[in-house]
Amino acid sequence: MGRAELTWNALDQNDPFPCIMVEVMNSSDVIESWRALGLHCPEPRAITALIDTGAAATVISKTFANYCKLFQTGEGSVFTTLAGLAVCGEHAGAISFPGTNLRPINSLRIVSANFVKERFYSCLIGRDILRNWRITFDGRQRLITIED
Amino acid sequence: MAAGLFSNELRVFQEHRDEWLRTKAGKFVVIQDSVVAEGFFDTYSEALKAGLQAFGVDHNFLVKQVWTTEPVYYLA
Repeated sequence: MGRAELTWNALDQNDPFPCIMVEVMNSSDVIESWRALGLHCPEPRAITALIDTGAAATVISKTFANYCKLFQTGEGSVFTTLAGLAVCGEHAGAISFPGTNLRPINSLRIVSANFVKERFYSCLIGRDILRNWRITFDGRQRLITIED
Repeated sequence: MAAGLFSNELRVFQEHRDEWLRTKAGKFVVIQDSVVAEGFFDTYSEALKAGLQAFGVDHNFLVKQVWTTEPVYYLA
């Protein structure tokens, strides 16, 4: 069982969301296929992700999806957001959680969308991942505990 | 106007949707251009793997779940 502990003060305006660092990359199957063709995949880079129980799927900024060269497997999925409807791309990706022993996910659908003026995070961890976790938030201790 | 990414694949999907709904609702299908990969798959990961085996990574392929109407996902 993997476990991670994150500190978060829900009243801190400079840290307004519960977030976790993630590394997003192509799935190992895609990377192996690229390597067989002599192509290289960008090195994974850690980014900040919001733990978002309100997100049906895991979402990454389009900018970062392009940077990672995430293999695209769909286009045109419709998402309802607070700002209205968004039409998104779909990619095959893998996600890991550096600095924790939470189990990485080697192959999942990741949605790409424009993160307009969002400065705190560039990824949403959605319920497709959260359904595998047990999360507790201790507001008095300002502590989030994740177990998988 | 330039054709969108996956426009051919989505057209093929639309052409077969009613037929597939009868027996394959909820399954994933893989399409590249006008070619449908063999088989239907229970999960996105299985469909991805099948698509890579069938088509490789030279060109993108569509992985799509067979539903009556397109789902709308919520991000809040």
